[in-house]
Amino acid sequence: MHLTGLDLLFWAASFVGHVTLLLVLCIRRRVRTFPLFTTFISANILRTIALYLIAHFGTKATYFYTYWYLAILDACLQLGVVYELASGIFRPLGVWAKDVRRSFIWLGSLSVAVAAALTWLASPPTRLWMQSVMIKGNLFSAALMSELFVSMIALSVTVGLPWRTHITRIAQGLGVYSIIDVLVEAAHSYFGLGRDSRAYDDLSHARIAVYLACTMYWIIMLWRDAPQPRELSEQMRRDLLALQGRVGYRLQGLRSRRGQ
Amino acid sequence: MSARTILFLAAIVVFVAVLVVVAVYYHRRGRRTSDGSWEQLLERLTFVDRDGVAQIALDYADESGRRRTEDSDTGLEPSQIWKLIGGLDGLELLEKNCPVLIDLASYVQQWYPEAVVLAEELRLNAREIEWHVERLRGAAKTGNMELSFANYAQPAIAKYYLMTRRVLALYERGNLPMLTDLQRVI
Repeated sequence: MHLTGLDLLFWAASFVGHVTLLLVLCIRRRVRTFPLFTTFISANILRTIALYLIAHFGTKATYFYTYWYLAILDACLQLGVVYELASGIFRPLGVWAKDVRRSFIWLGSLSVAVAAALTWLASPPTRLWMQSVMIKGNLFSAALMSELFVSMIALSVTVGLPWRTHITRIAQGLGVYSIIDVLVEAAHSYFGLGRDSRAYDDLSHARIAVYLACTMYWIIMLWRDAPQPRELSEQMRRDLLALQGRVGYRLQGLRSRRGQ
Repeated sequence: MSARTILFLAAIVVFVAVLVVVAVYYHRRGRRTSDGSWEQLLERLTFVDRDGVAQIALDYADESGRRRTEDSDTGLEPSQIWKLIGGLDGLELLEKNCPVLIDLASYVQQWYPEAVVLAEELRLNAREIEWHVERLRGAAKTGNMELSFANYAQPAIAKYYLMTRRVLALYERGNLPMLTDLQRVI
């Protein structure tokens, strides 16, 4: 497999960026707060190593299948990150806010339907059916992710649930990347992948550059601490604890009634 | 270029435009709420007759929200409640103020993240008020307002009153300097 100097540069930058981000997550003790995001970043490091080795020592077929399986894993982990962020926003007391869960499921279903419709409309000119599947799969994933992020923003503002600092930063990075990725994948679908793959490669480089910028943003933002809260007065702590017990009980009650 | 490709490109343009517009709109709305000044937050509150609200609420429940028994209430008639609160319009004003009360609790979260508990409690209360007012709107359409008002208006007003008391208590316990402003408006 032929790799240009730019390909190798992006590969190396992506690897260094992810390793740095993983170190930041570990050193600043964000792993426990964001276990799925950490897994997503770790999986990206392993993916970069695996694909690099296969590109050098493996066959084209091995590379293609490995790339495809890892792309599915990547999409699943991205959905996991969306769930993790949504949990941080919509489960302020450890239980899904009653009025949010149904809306979120509804918006999620709508997002899948719209992403599927866009994917169905795409007809990339390719030589092999596998290439078409790959381009369409990427478009579906990008459209779905961008919709989920926008849905999360809209829903949280509508119901009045605030975002904690680091959740906001991760979501901003992934959200902006997803929307740009939709444009890149749409262009991939338009130009396709024929004998001349220059357009495809240039677009892929643009996508990776955006992702690298996003990784840099995460490194800086997750290194910084969230604003320090004030110390609660004893009376206030007692009041809020009592209230938490009451609200928690009511939410549990609502949840168990729904389960019946 | 085939018709399908044109349709695809048009769909992508519309899709991205809608996503960007929705994201920017809600992001700005969220920023207005969280970064808005204290004055802007208070300006969003609509004036309601606080004494009337308190009178109706305390006839239904005590300060802690516990429902009064038949013997201990002052026996306000539905027609008196209607007059004190200003009918369905008055209840809709309370409903409109509920998101501001939630934002007032969320405002405290910038110093005390634990206040999320109160914001969550207020969100549940606001949902209940919304539910009661929705029933009354339905009753107004079907001409059953008189009967429904007795059932739904007072619990909604009592819940609203309790929400205001909880917000005030939060600012008081936190020794926040905005308490005086707040006492003047809610």
